[in-house]
Amino acid sequence: MSVQNGPAIEIAGLTKTFGRAKALDGLDLSVRTGEVHGFLGPNGSGKTTTIRILLGLLRSDAGTVRMLGGDPWRDAVALHRRLAYVPGDVNLWPNISGGEVIDLLGRMRGGLDRARRDELLERFDLDPRKKARTYSKGNRQKVALIAALASDAELLLLDEPTSGLDPLMEAEFQRCVHRLKAEGRTVLLSSHILAEVEALCDRVSIIRLGRTVESGTLSQLRHLTRTSISVETARPLAGIDALAGVHDLVVDDHHARFDVDTAELDEVVRALAPLGVRSLTSTPPTLEEMFLRHYGDEAAAEAEAAVR
Amino acid sequence: MTGLGGLLRFMLRRERLALPWWLLGATLLVLVQSTQSQGLYGTPEDLASLRRTIGGNTAVIAMSGPTRLLENIGGEVVFEILAYVSIVVAMMSMFLVGRHTRADEESGRAELVRSARLGRHATLAAALVLAGLANLAVGALVFAAAAGTGLPVSGSLLFGAATAAVGGVFAALTAVAVQVFENARAAYGAVALAIGAAFVLRAAGDIGNGALSWVSPIGWAQRTFPYVDNRWWPLAVPVAVAAALVVAAMALLARRDFAAGLVRPRPGRATASAALGSSLGLAWRLQRGALAGWAAGLFLLGVAYGSIGNSIEQYVADNPAVAEYLPGGAADVVDSYLAFTALTLALIVSAYGVVTALRARSEETSGRAEPLLATATSRAGWLGSHLVVAAGGAASVLAAAGLGEGLAYGLATSDAGQVPRMVGVSLGYLPAVLLVTAVAVLGLGWLPRAAAALAWVAVAYCAVIALFADSFDIPGWLRRGSPFAHTPEVPIDDWTVAPLVVIGLLAVALAAGGYAGLRRRDLGY
Repeated sequence: MSVQNGPAIEIAGLTKTFGRAKALDGLDLSVRTGEVHGFLGPNGSGKTTTIRILLGLLRSDAGTVRMLGGDPWRDAVALHRRLAYVPGDVNLWPNISGGEVIDLLGRMRGGLDRARRDELLERFDLDPRKKARTYSKGNRQKVALIAALASDAELLLLDEPTSGLDPLMEAEFQRCVHRLKAEGRTVLLSSHILAEVEALCDRVSIIRLGRTVESGTLSQLRHLTRTSISVETARPLAGIDALAGVHDLVVDDHHARFDVDTAELDEVVRALAPLGVRSLTSTPPTLEEMFLRHYGDEAAAEAEAAVR
Repeated sequence: MTGLGGLLRFMLRRERLALPWWLLGATLLVLVQSTQSQGLYGTPEDLASLRRTIGGNTAVIAMSGPTRLLENIGGEVVFEILAYVSIVVAMMSMFLVGRHTRADEESGRAELVRSARLGRHATLAAALVLAGLANLAVGALVFAAAAGTGLPVSGSLLFGAATAAVGGVFAALTAVAVQVFENARAAYGAVALAIGAAFVLRAAGDIGNGALSWVSPIGWAQRTFPYVDNRWWPLAVPVAVAAALVVAAMALLARRDFAAGLVRPRPGRATASAALGSSLGLAWRLQRGALAGWAAGLFLLGVAYGSIGNSIEQYVADNPAVAEYLPGGAADVVDSYLAFTALTLALIVSAYGVVTALRARSEETSGRAEPLLATATSRAGWLGSHLVVAAGGAASVLAAAGLGEGLAYGLATSDAGQVPRMVGVSLGYLPAVLLVTAVAVLGLGWLPRAAAALAWVAVAYCAVIALFADSFDIPGWLRRGSPFAHTPEVPIDDWTVAPLVVIGLLAVALAAGGYAGLRRRDLGY
């Protein structure tokens, strides 16, 4: 496994249109070597399109894309030897068994670890003799996951790999990703399951309408968003609504609840201190709240567009 | 049976695009055969000479029906076409029942429907009523086509009823098969086997003493002898058999779990064999079953053509009108016949080439190509593997067709030399077949959504030029576009290699052009 200092994936200003529809509109994404990177966004925001461009299945219209030091379109075959992919919607050949598909994909990548394959079959509780026709969505996804996880790929591109798995298998998946991370491999994980992203990812990119809206570590992202504050003071609360960065204020004499832009937190706490703070709880935003804020904006923008 | 009416309306709606084609197909068969037969054997003398030539030819009897039907012109039409209309109607019935029962259960769609206020037997009952209605429609259309082309009304009525009866039996048989097998493919396989057996049994019966024809649904229909004897009573057999099968299907349905069958499917391999390790290995695995089917089918068709080669001279002498269809005219009748049948077989093989090449497109649109192309497999390797199978398969199917024709004709004339000769003649069409296949590849690269339409237009164009150019007076410039027109029609023509090389190079160029398009475009769209 080659250890590189440069980023595993570097995308800048990526644009892709299908006919009139703009799937990607200047997307930026940077995934460092050895990290697990969460790729978040509502349905149709362009996650799958981005991954397909990284796989050289689609050609970008504008922008630069580098992956593992190569051009995903031009160097597709050479790069594919070093990556493994799990599609979001796994379609298999009805008459071929799961075990055969795992072996086929592994051999076509350039070999897979037999012992690991068998161990993964056990862990994910998959019967390799069943024909793909009889597999449920979750089992088809397991086939693709096992094929990817049993490889020695440096980079794994996982497109909502757990959307059909039950909680037990989800936990098994998380253990596998931790192991990948310990081995120094890079993972791009597109997901809807925010608890999974919080548990696994070093850094996160949130995209919306084909554009990156947030990117960074979870604590960096939190800094950009609001913290919920609940405070009780000795003296009556006054003038809080005048402070910069305070939102959704509910106040009655000695008690207040509000959200504050995390960047303004320091100023707000200074303003509260002279009032004699009796109790104060501050709750950092969950990823879910951050996500919903962006998603909510989009929903609102769409509703607006519909009215117009 | 709660919910039957609503379900039936829903099924009819889902069938509104496919069903009309089946009905049209069955009607056209009767329409064309009736017109053609009345043109060729219009007089009692023509019919008498036909009885003389065909009466003793077991191959023709095996491919058609009992010779008793040759008493009058209506019977002659039934003799030639009823077995084939029966196959069409049987397949229509099979797909109608299978699609709305087992296929829906397999995909999970039926689960949603079943959770509504619906009786356990309602889905199967609605599918059977649907098939019944479709078969009534076929019966009415066959009657209309036969009576409309001037055949007697009473016989036409029986002709239509007999056709519908065959459909009914296979609808009921499919109803049983979908209870037994857990997936639709296996059920279709079993019913298709039964359809084949019905044809073979009646062929054996019609050649022999007739007993075996009485265990075949197609035999029951033929032995009503429409126009000749107009007996209705043999239709009691298919009616009784269909009723018994429906009762059995309903009973089996009540005894099994949803989505389960009575036969457990065989498990597959836990690990892939050494052969399944590349995109070529996969393409072969996906296509080998179809290749075996096509090769067997064309071999049998070749046998059918070859076996009547011997009596063709007599046949043409009796029916001068037939000679018009043969490229060499009445002179060298046998060679001319062999050349013409080899061409016909090759045209069918070009359909095989197109179907096989288009598999790459369905792999792409279904999303199954995506994980493969995310491995160290290039687009050239992926497309190439499908084309290798298509080209190799086309050569094998051509060889099988030539082998069948050569064997049968060689046996009839006690001339072993006919085998390599006919295989060679057949393989001479390989460049033309590949060129038509390459049209599909070109479409795949540049106009993927239109690729199938484009390729089928090419097949249809070649077929029309080859079979009807003279009857329709198609101008010479329009004929020259077909590669089949440039392939020497051996054995009436001599071998000339130059056109074959040119056609082959054109095929390679077109395929390369298709690849150039595929290299540049987005996949999956």
